[in-house]
Amino acid sequence: MKELVNTLSDPKYSFTGVIIGFYLFMKYYRTIGTVKFFISSMIIILGVFIWMMQDPNFHAIIVWPDNVPIVILLFAVIFFTWFSIYKAAINDARIEGGETPVEGSVENREKVWTWPNLVYTELMAGTLCVVILVIWSIFLKAPLEEPANPTWAPNPAKAPWYFLGLQEMLVYFDPWMAGVVLPGLIIVGLIAIPYIDTNPKGNGYYTMAERKVAMGGFLFGWLALWVYLIIIGTFLRGPNWTFYGPFEVWDFHKVVAEANVNLSEFFWIKGLGISMPSNIFLREIVGLIVTTGYYVGLTLLCNRSQLGSSLMKSLGKIRYYLLILLLLTMGLLPVKMYLRWLFNLKYLVAMPEFEFNL
Amino acid sequence: MKLETGMAYRSSTLIRWFAFISILFLFSVLAMFLDDYIRPWKGWQIKSLAVKREKLKKDIEAKLGKISPEKLAELENSFESAKDLVEERQESIRKLEGEINTISGQIHGAKLELSVYNGRVAELTFRWEHAHAHGDPRAPKLKKKLDHNRVLFAATKEKIKELEASKKGPLAKVSELKAELIAAEKEQQKLFGQVELLKGALAKTDISNPVWILRNAPFIDWLDPTIKVEQVVLDHITDDRYFRHVPKVDRCMTCHTFIDQKGFEDQPNPFKTHPNLDLMVGLASPHPMKSFGCTSCHGGEGHRINDFNAAAHTPQNLGQQKSWEKDYHWHAPHKVPEVMNRLQYTEAGCYKCHKGVEMIPMAHKYNRGKELIKDYGCYACHVIPEFEEKRKPGPPLNKLASKLEKNWVKNWIWNPFGFNSKSRMPSFFRQSNNSKPEFENKNIAEVNAMAEYLWDQSEEYRPFGRYKGGNVAKGKELISSVGCISCHQVEGIEASQKVGAKKAPYLTGTGSKVDPHWLVSWVQRPSHYAPETIMPSFRLTSREAQDVTAYLLSLKNDSFSAKTFAPLDKGVRDDLLLEYFMAFDTKGQARGKLAVLSDREKTLELGKRSLGKYGCYSCHSIGGFAPGRAPIGPNLSTEGSKPIHQFGFGHEKIPHERDTWIFHHLKNPRRWDKGQDKPFKDLSRMPMYYLSDDEAQAMTLTILGYTTHRVPEKGIKRLDANEAYAEKGLKHVAKYNCTSCHKIDGVGGDILAAYEDDENEGPPWLVDQGHRVHSDWLYHFLGNVYPIRPWLKVRMPSFKLTDREKNEITAYFQAKAHEHSFRPSPSAPVEWEPGERRAALKLFDALACASCHTTGFNRDDPMAPALQMTKRRLRSSWIEKWLANPQAILPHTTMPNFWEDGEAQEPDILGGDPKKQITALRKYLQEIGHDQIHGELNRSSTSR
Repeated sequence: MKELVNTLSDPKYSFTGVIIGFYLFMKYYRTIGTVKFFISSMIIILGVFIWMMQDPNFHAIIVWPDNVPIVILLFAVIFFTWFSIYKAAINDARIEGGETPVEGSVENREKVWTWPNLVYTELMAGTLCVVILVIWSIFLKAPLEEPANPTWAPNPAKAPWYFLGLQEMLVYFDPWMAGVVLPGLIIVGLIAIPYIDTNPKGNGYYTMAERKVAMGGFLFGWLALWVYLIIIGTFLRGPNWTFYGPFEVWDFHKVVAEANVNLSEFFWIKGLGISMPSNIFLREIVGLIVTTGYYVGLTLLCNRSQLGSSLMKSLGKIRYYLLILLLLTMGLLPVKMYLRWLFNLKYLVAMPEFEFNL
Repeated sequence: MKLETGMAYRSSTLIRWFAFISILFLFSVLAMFLDDYIRPWKGWQIKSLAVKREKLKKDIEAKLGKISPEKLAELENSFESAKDLVEERQESIRKLEGEINTISGQIHGAKLELSVYNGRVAELTFRWEHAHAHGDPRAPKLKKKLDHNRVLFAATKEKIKELEASKKGPLAKVSELKAELIAAEKEQQKLFGQVELLKGALAKTDISNPVWILRNAPFIDWLDPTIKVEQVVLDHITDDRYFRHVPKVDRCMTCHTFIDQKGFEDQPNPFKTHPNLDLMVGLASPHPMKSFGCTSCHGGEGHRINDFNAAAHTPQNLGQQKSWEKDYHWHAPHKVPEVMNRLQYTEAGCYKCHKGVEMIPMAHKYNRGKELIKDYGCYACHVIPEFEEKRKPGPPLNKLASKLEKNWVKNWIWNPFGFNSKSRMPSFFRQSNNSKPEFENKNIAEVNAMAEYLWDQSEEYRPFGRYKGGNVAKGKELISSVGCISCHQVEGIEASQKVGAKKAPYLTGTGSKVDPHWLVSWVQRPSHYAPETIMPSFRLTSREAQDVTAYLLSLKNDSFSAKTFAPLDKGVRDDLLLEYFMAFDTKGQARGKLAVLSDREKTLELGKRSLGKYGCYSCHSIGGFAPGRAPIGPNLSTEGSKPIHQFGFGHEKIPHERDTWIFHHLKNPRRWDKGQDKPFKDLSRMPMYYLSDDEAQAMTLTILGYTTHRVPEKGIKRLDANEAYAEKGLKHVAKYNCTSCHKIDGVGGDILAAYEDDENEGPPWLVDQGHRVHSDWLYHFLGNVYPIRPWLKVRMPSFKLTDREKNEITAYFQAKAHEHSFRPSPSAPVEWEPGERRAALKLFDALACASCHTTGFNRDDPMAPALQMTKRRLRSSWIEKWLANPQAILPHTTMPNFWEDGEAQEPDILGGDPKKQITALRKYLQEIGHDQIHGELNRSSTSR
């Protein structure tokens, strides 16, 4: 059983599981958004968690002081995601029945004073937060460690937890892409959301049915690409950034067979059986075509689809193309992950001469 | 209930919540302060106060116990009577004291006046001098004023003197009146003074004292705490913080409170006194705590006192580990590149400051490890500090064919321990990682090829002697007596077992090993065969050489020599060669290369490659291997700092610790191959020495000492000129193994174990030798050895020393004895005082010197050295020292002490003055002395 869990946790398999899970989540959100479902699934999740904690290796990873907050945060993610779905499910049912959302009901329209209602509550929340931090720091120490020894770097060397998703992306992308371009786009994209999304639906109330595309797009990026990669990076990457199942010993000497090949090498050497052209653009021509095809082709395809044309109409061209660009770039990550697992593909376009690898 | 308008919650609810959270906040802040305040080291310090209290109480009790009750009663009585007496005289005392008081007041007043005049005089002096120098018209006026003040000053001073004089009378009277009381008080001070001091110290350990509590209370304990971190900061010993070296900070004494104080030897740790205060930590020791700290030697993280684990304490053994785990939640330190040395490895810390010396004084364990490294020749394959220049540990193989038989050599390489259980040649084959039949076949081919190669390279050597047979019993007697056993061990000679020498080969089995003609030449003159050998000549006559050879040839190991080594499998040989060639060539090319070689060339090629592969050339000089070829093993000069993850633990289940790895590696270097599927060419090759645990531990210690620590110039031990000379010579003394025979200033003398009954029969102790003998004599003696002590059977051998070696050995003794300058032995005639010579002659007869020192005086067998050698050999001051008390220099000597306790046995001669007698005798000895400095005396040539 543990063997099976170890194997299935490998992103090769678990990522597909996450995608399927995400699809089911979107489809059956009304069932998921019930208290009954929440309680029963929490019982199962906690049960599984407790069972897993019996394993010394898993236990060691979880109770490591750096990781305890991440575990707590993961449970918070589960709860708040469910909570929004729960609220949305109620509102969607009301909207279907011709009622207003709960937030729009008459009794919820009444206004209260900021002082003392909000200010008091915020002060108390702030104080409580400090109390929790103080108590936390007493029990989970964060002492000064040894002076940094350049000849003995920690292995695995891990980024702070909130960057572990980015670090995990380094497995699939060139550092320049995973470390600069993609995070930059994430920030820019998040900033751009209010300017792209001008749809007033869902303002001030929870809903899923009215905002399926927006919710689906955001939650996929957040849960499947960001949180999931943090989980992998935190709990399942050990020394040498090798994958270790949750029940596996972090053996320093574990070796994984990985020989990655560039698309250009596939094409020229394996496909045509000739040596690589010296002109780098000619050399990378296939990758360039494929990448351009990915962006242009998929955009055209989108334009033709019903959803695409309606979006174009409601958003206008600029907003629409920006959205598509951002979504397609986000999509690069899962695409690249699958290409790596299926074909050991290193880079679609490999131009180390220009620090440009994709 | 309805809410007020505009309110989401009731005010009272909000306020209650707010109060609750505020209180929570308060408590969490208090908890934070307490968490910061409560430190494990404080607990230890408080406990240490209790320990100290206990000890002080005991001390006080002991001190009080020494005061007898009678004395106490007496003291009380005298106090009583004194008080009564003083009471009676109270009237006059009071009066006198009143008087004294008045005078004291007057003195005080006068002194005030004096200070005023003093100031005025100083000021006026300056002003007048300034005015005078610049021609100021006010000068005369100022001068007048100055003079006036000077007069006043003098007068006041005079007045004070007078007053003080007038005070003396009444003072004396008062003390006279109070004399009894003062005496009693003095007596009390004498009896109880120390007790009072101890009581004062005791009061400081009282933790219920409110002042103590206040000083150490939370929040205010930064003001003036008594419980505090103790530390030493060492400017001249630094810690490597990777980007810079910073002064070492040790805070160990924060918990090890009494480490530098005597009297806590029986306390458990951390309160124990350092076990060797005279050498370490103690204020008067060469390594006081203030200058050397703790972790300079012990290792570990001395500045870290968060808890027990922070300092990287390392348990001695599993038992201690278990108890620490229980008591202190011990765990292996995280990310500490070099943990504390285990207690048994503490001396590993010596090396980093004591570099460049043959041995470190008092570091017995370290020295032993180093000695073992030398004995086993580890330095031949590994670069090891201090051994860079050492000679190859194995014998040269370039004339092998004339000495040994080929089959024997093959069997020997295959399994040296099968021939000789004390072999120093390690085992390369039949080990845990190469005993598979497939590997064994390859090994057999390699051994065959190696032997062929050695024979091919062997130079012509013709022994100068021929073995004609000899007397085995006489040979045995010679071997046990002339000194062979100081370096060699032989089964069957009990004395050699007692000595247990390991410096040179174990002789058992020699008869099955070497060629008789070679042997007879070798024992007579080893350098004929091997010019570089350190084996000396014992000046055996050819008869003696035959006897010794006969005995050695009788030591056989028949079962070993009966074995015929498996023949060379040419197929296996070719496969092995192909594998070598294919490292850089394709299979086809490799085959081509192989095909052009003749059968013999193939064998020789494999032989040479195998000798290179196993590193044989590192220990032996072998033809075809350039002398400068790099040694085969890894460099060990920073092994003690090698990062732990660079050690290959393989799949072995042992703790991942540096010292544990080294220890197990020494015990069985091949163990790391276990569970690994390695091809033949990649198998570990470090051979097996079959070390005992004890030996492996000693060597581990020494190797752990080779760290990357850089101690600043100021911190390291630098040799002074004398020590440097001694060190230079000691290298030769160690090379030629002088200390296996001679006990030099208390060190060495291994062979003396065979002379337990009478040490006078063994090689002489060399006590203060540089003072004893003239340097020029010693120099010549080393080059031309002759017997000095006629009764000895053991011989001082003749070493083949270079002039430089002789010089440096001489300087070694001279420097050790602090004989700074080179003074040649005297050649001028003795100058006598009037009548002194006659007295000396009388004394010489009276003390019957010639009854033992017979040479030149009578025909009896000499039982002591010839006195005629004295003049050029012994220094005058030493002769006198020796005569005055021989036993003080050599406790076991048979030379009588004629001036015991400074009393002359012959009171009539020279007035019985020992000093004069000794001088006269010394002069006489120098007078009869020969001027010959080289070589033995001709016995008959001496006359009175």
